[in-house]
Amino acid sequence: MVPMETTKVEGQPRKRITDIGPPNFEKFLHPLIKKNYGQWKYHESLGPGRLCHVAESGDRIYTVRAGSPRLLSIHTIRYFADLADKYCGGYLRFTSRNNVEFLLDDPARIEPLKKELEQAGFPVGGTNNAISNIVHTQGWVHCHSAATDASGIVKSVMDELHYHFTHQELPGKIRIALACCLNMCGAVHCSDIAILGIHRQPPVVRHDLVPKVCEVPTLIASCPTGAIRPATVDGKPSVEVIEQQCMFCGNCFTVCPALPMANAEFDGVSIWVGGKVSNARSAPRFSKLAIPYLPNNPPRWPEVVKAVVNIVEVYAKNARKFERMGEWIDRIGWPKFFKLTGIEFTRYHIDDFRFAPLTFARSTHIRF
Amino acid sequence: MDEKKQTKLLDQLESGPWPSFVKEIKKAAATNPAAGDLLGQLELSYEEKKVHWKHGGIVGVLGYGGGVIGRYSDVPEKFPKVAHFHTLRVNMPTGWFYASDALRTIYDIWERHGSGLTNMHGSTGDIILLGTTTDQLEPAFQELTQAGFDLGGSGSALRTPSACVGQARCEWACYDTMGVCNHVTHHYQDELHRPAWPYKFKFSGCPNDCVASIARADLSVIGMWKDEIQQDDAAVAEYAAAGLDIQKDVCDRCPAKCMNWDGKKLSIDNPECVHCMHCLNVMPKALRPGKERGAIFLLGAKAPILQGAVLSSVLIPFVPAAEIVDTLKELVSRIWEFWDEYGHNRERVAELIQRVGMAAFLDAIGLDPVPEMVAAPRDNPYIFFQKESDGSNGDDKG
Amino acid sequence: MATFEVDGRSYEVDEDGFLQDPGIWNEAVAKDFATTESVAEMTEAHWKVVNYIRNYYLQFGIAPMVRKLCKETGFKLNQIYELFPSGPAKGACKLARLPKPTGCV
Repeated sequence: MVPMETTKVEGQPRKRITDIGPPNFEKFLHPLIKKNYGQWKYHESLGPGRLCHVAESGDRIYTVRAGSPRLLSIHTIRYFADLADKYCGGYLRFTSRNNVEFLLDDPARIEPLKKELEQAGFPVGGTNNAISNIVHTQGWVHCHSAATDASGIVKSVMDELHYHFTHQELPGKIRIALACCLNMCGAVHCSDIAILGIHRQPPVVRHDLVPKVCEVPTLIASCPTGAIRPATVDGKPSVEVIEQQCMFCGNCFTVCPALPMANAEFDGVSIWVGGKVSNARSAPRFSKLAIPYLPNNPPRWPEVVKAVVNIVEVYAKNARKFERMGEWIDRIGWPKFFKLTGIEFTRYHIDDFRFAPLTFARSTHIRF
Repeated sequence: MDEKKQTKLLDQLESGPWPSFVKEIKKAAATNPAAGDLLGQLELSYEEKKVHWKHGGIVGVLGYGGGVIGRYSDVPEKFPKVAHFHTLRVNMPTGWFYASDALRTIYDIWERHGSGLTNMHGSTGDIILLGTTTDQLEPAFQELTQAGFDLGGSGSALRTPSACVGQARCEWACYDTMGVCNHVTHHYQDELHRPAWPYKFKFSGCPNDCVASIARADLSVIGMWKDEIQQDDAAVAEYAAAGLDIQKDVCDRCPAKCMNWDGKKLSIDNPECVHCMHCLNVMPKALRPGKERGAIFLLGAKAPILQGAVLSSVLIPFVPAAEIVDTLKELVSRIWEFWDEYGHNRERVAELIQRVGMAAFLDAIGLDPVPEMVAAPRDNPYIFFQKESDGSNGDDKG
Repeated sequence: MATFEVDGRSYEVDEDGFLQDPGIWNEAVAKDFATTESVAEMTEAHWKVVNYIRNYYLQFGIAPMVRKLCKETGFKLNQIYELFPSGPAKGACKLARLPKPTGCV
């Protein structure tokens, strides 16, 4: 460990503190939560974005959940802190899907808080069979390998799906997630609808840079299909890319800056459906390819928005109560999914990576 | 307004009912020029449909090998205030609970040392302090630790463990997810700050798995009960009276088909229950997890890179709640030892298992195979029979 | 491209201060870069780590894994952080003039 040297912070000599870990959560718990920790009996919905949890003791804690854009200014954080002070003794939390939750002991304050949040532009909802906030990555705001932006698509999609955030009228939950490249920071690969940034061109090899900035063996090992091989270029060690074997995953760029992937003309977005994480009814599963490519069309990505809204609408109309996207498709079959959504089935939908045969239809169970 | 401040494309994302990240950047930009240059560079990305961050960046605070994500602009001459725009990952309080003053403390520090922009929260669950310069990292870090906060994990380090809300506000939590997560986070501070292995731990209190541990964590600890579902017949009757179609919406949706409703009485064949949560989700007042509670340990989830995505699979079907922490530590130490010997650079645990085989992995960590681990036994005859000590080929020594 | 200057010597470096030209490494260069990584003086222990990393790289073309570094040098990971406060990846690899470590860093 680094010696506890004395350093100056704001003019005050202080001991350098490290390895303290996060603060204990207990000091941030609402007194009612602390009192009834582990003693909750049941909960009920008080309408979209409003929950009531009842403890064995009879105590009730009320939650008001609002959507946020995830990317926040300190001014908005302070606004949330002020709201928490005003309505609930300063106690709030955030959810795993970037919503903010205010924890109240006084039910009379729920509606005024909801009203104030909505007036400030933060919709209240995201509970039960609503479309909760979209989990997403950094995109062009802060990532080096992004094939698309994240925040812009999320904003555009949620503007159109806003009704389903503030209402709970869908047959089941719809979890939407976005990752701006195949690294998939976030559980997009198990979402009802996944929006995934993709490249469609092989990397450009900067032979001048490879010997300076790359561990060549690591670079070669980074390719899932073995498409990268050592090569000598102008007498210097470098690599070549067998382009027919490249499926544009971008992992070579992750390990070596000399193989840039970003391509304004060819990068874009793919759409995947039917994944889930919860074990309710059916087992967790991966999302499957619905649309292999849609263009990057900032600022509002109309093609992506239209595709997502279409899938949501067809699902909402056809799925039975409680069916998640994947469970609905299980029941009706993939051919009907493509027919109902009007999405074209192409050669790209047929897997050609490892274990591909496991995804082929291996029975005569066919609907006409 | 000078030319670089014009953001005609991004301005279009200020309208509409969903809260706007562009408004947030503009709010920060009113008092912080780095946020203004971020907006400018993002507008350029929108115009050119291309990212404008250079590859990588390796910066940090003294004594730590993770917790800071280095970023440099590839157009620093146009946007000098984001020439460096590094991010600090601050380990969130478990469960993402805050008191308002704690938020003010963190963001007063961030106002002094960074862009004034943040994510609540990042994909790893950390508080993301988005964008500062190299010289501000150490002062920001020192102020944060003085205030009781520390950095999270990144890169090849143990990632910041995360947990669902658990027993703080959920009747389904079969163990104290937040307590376990907080304990484990403190126990593995070395591995979090000084990269030794790149694993993720996530803790969900029930099979609804609100932190997606089965999809995202190398070690997924998911709450489980072993005895009978607690049933309140009067509350079942209330649901029925209120219009819930118990046959259709509960019994018919049960994957194990272990429930029967005769119009008055709901009966559950508990030994057949697969603990999916559907009936509890539909009737939270009437049905609750049993009293013998603990967790199921699953291993190996990861995203597609390199050889395809993997979901965690069952390793230990049930660990009593009181034994979760000790079991986790013991399991991690055994896996760590094996990984130390056989793991490759960048290799996640699922990839290691794929490479050496699950049976060999179980041998190495000293766990007996049980049928709960598989969806089905193998259907190929390519069996690596082991040599018995007497020299004959025999079945597994078990 | 930025330059790093010390005692009248000038090196071409990237934005993280990693030496660009792989061909010019020697012990004097490592000493010059030590000042940028909070290493006040290059002791025998420092050289043990730097030389191990450097030789491993020359032999295999990659940086050794952290656990191998610990095993072969006999230092525990926290001792390596004491020697190189910015860590093995940033500090020690920079002094040994390896390519900048990558990944989700």
